[in-house]
Amino acid sequence: MKSDIILDVRDLKLHFRTRKGPVQAVDGVTFQLKRGQTLAVVGESGCGKTSLVKAILRLLPRNIETFTGEVFFNGVDVMKYNDERFRKEIRWTKMAMVPQASMNSLNPVIRIEDQIAEPLFLHEPGISREKAMQRVAEVFKVVGLPLDFLQRYPFELSGGMRQRATIAMALVTNPELVVLDEPSSALDLLTQANLMNVLKKIKHEYGTTFILITHDIGTASELADEIAVMYAGEMVEQCSAEYFYTDARHPYSRKLMASVPTLREDKELQFIPGQPPSLINPPTGCRFADRCEQRFGKCSEHPPVTELEHRQQVQCWLYVNGKGEVKHA
Amino acid sequence: MSKIETTADRAVPARRSASGTFARIARYTLVRGLTLVITVIIGVYLAILIANGGGYVDKIREGQIREQISLSIAGNEALRDMTMQERREYEQNLVAIELSRRGLDQPFMVRSFRYLWNGLTLDLGSAEYLLSDSGSRQVRSILGERLGPTLLLMATGQLLLFFTSVFFALFLSRRYGSVIDRIVVAMAPTSAAPAWFYGIFLILIFAGLLGWLPFGGMVDAPPPPSPWLRALSVIKHLVLPVGAIVISSIFYTSYYWRTFFLIYSSEDYVDMAKAKGLPSGAIERRYVLRPTLPTIVTSFALTLIGLWTGAIVLETVFGWPGIGRLTQMAINLFDTPVIVGTVVIYAYLLALTVFLLDIVYAIVDPRVKLGGGERRS
Repeated sequence: MKSDIILDVRDLKLHFRTRKGPVQAVDGVTFQLKRGQTLAVVGESGCGKTSLVKAILRLLPRNIETFTGEVFFNGVDVMKYNDERFRKEIRWTKMAMVPQASMNSLNPVIRIEDQIAEPLFLHEPGISREKAMQRVAEVFKVVGLPLDFLQRYPFELSGGMRQRATIAMALVTNPELVVLDEPSSALDLLTQANLMNVLKKIKHEYGTTFILITHDIGTASELADEIAVMYAGEMVEQCSAEYFYTDARHPYSRKLMASVPTLREDKELQFIPGQPPSLINPPTGCRFADRCEQRFGKCSEHPPVTELEHRQQVQCWLYVNGKGEVKHA
Repeated sequence: MSKIETTADRAVPARRSASGTFARIARYTLVRGLTLVITVIIGVYLAILIANGGGYVDKIREGQIREQISLSIAGNEALRDMTMQERREYEQNLVAIELSRRGLDQPFMVRSFRYLWNGLTLDLGSAEYLLSDSGSRQVRSILGERLGPTLLLMATGQLLLFFTSVFFALFLSRRYGSVIDRIVVAMAPTSAAPAWFYGIFLILIFAGLLGWLPFGGMVDAPPPPSPWLRALSVIKHLVLPVGAIVISSIFYTSYYWRTFFLIYSSEDYVDMAKAKGLPSGAIERRYVLRPTLPTIVTSFALTLIGLWTGAIVLETVFGWPGIGRLTQMAINLFDTPVIVGTVVIYAYLLALTVFLLDIVYAIVDPRVKLGGGERRS
């Protein structure tokens, strides 16, 4: 049975053990993602975006303090799977990823085609080499790489090409969900735009579900159906992209939007004073309170998530009991 | 998209590079070979200059010859009747004959080049003082006799050390931060002491106190008649020196390789392999060992070269009849031909290893294959 909801994450926590104490990189993140949609997770560096990806894909470093919560994939809680079952049934067959700095994600001593075909041989045992290579050539075309690069080694490709090869690798097994962790952050603007077009094409042609991690709200707008804003390990706002760009609710989201230049409006760009709190001992109340211009007494307690119209979810006291709009001038 | 199209597309780069690749590799090999030959020539010549003290050793030798001859004349009853003048002439004569017999009458610079040529053509000449066990003065047979034992000892010790530490390190890198990992890290400084230092303690404990193993030497005296028993006896004599080699370095080398593997297993492509769902064995083989193979091969080749030099003090401590002990004796006795002979053989082996290493490199690392010449497309 396949429901409309492909990914349902509930109260996911990932804390790292360090000498100074546990780092709460992902602290109680909850969200849902519909099949075929793209969720863009935005937030500044160090807010736990990449840790969220690692938690969902279970690519954990050694120093794990806490790793709890529920991750329902197609209605099944995959957090209950042991590592071996997760590896066999989920990795790359259901969820694939394009990692951060994906330019360095190719093994330098294996030919591109063999690397891309590797998941096929692994997850579809018995597949003939010919058939696998055909499939590899297919995804290579999808990402727009010339086929004569198949037999090359990664060092013979430019950064943008390697990035595309990594995306080809993510698509080769037809996964239902692809997580893109800042796929374009190391590329120049033209290559970025190109890459976004490739992703858009894939989204439309294959109906792949994407989670796009980025700190670049402009890039996110190209692909996203849903936007989630992360701040200091928490998801402070989630809403559809349609409303986010015009009507973000959380003070942090608003500030974030105000810092992005736009083409048609002539606005003065703003910045957010201060720095995000340390994730080692984050404030018990609202984590954004220190930098928030709209803080009030309540903010020293941890805010609940409030659902507003258009399924807009905000973790802020301003919106509890319909107070929000009144406060905002 | 058809399959025919794919193969046609692929054939293009292969065809384009195939013709140029062979010529490039041939040229590269030739250049490398020539460079190595020049290196060997320079190395051997320097060794000749140094071993002869830039010609100073000749003066010592000349003095020794003079002393010997005058002593033998003084002790010769038949020459008692000669006058001082005659005796001196006679002595001068004998010295001149001896000098020219040894070629010491020519200027050193001229002779150094003859030595060089002889050395390079492996005409190692005869030793000044040392004898082989069979009584020969030929440097070649002296060295030949000593190479075997050294190789046996060093190869057993170093190869055991190398492979144990690499695989142990892989194991440790998987268990980074565990108790056993911490123990190895803490013990690494024990490798600051050389193998012979541990050897002395091993002899003290296992030969002296417990009496389980022999104090030194290579076989029992007299050697057992049957080859099996003789082999067994050699193995018994090998245990302590090999143990000393392994114990003295195992913690440091394991620590080194473990850190090396740790660095390379945090590469992005290793994470990617994990995300792709590869089992951990395959990740280790294809994503950690395979990309680091060039470094491992280099280290292995250097270990191989090291085997030939022997270990001077270790062999002395264990009374092992190897090259190391021979070198030490030759240095003490100013036995230049033996010293030069050792260096020549070592230089040749070194050059050969480096040359082979270049070829192996090109096989295991695709980046080297194309990096040899300038890349034109």
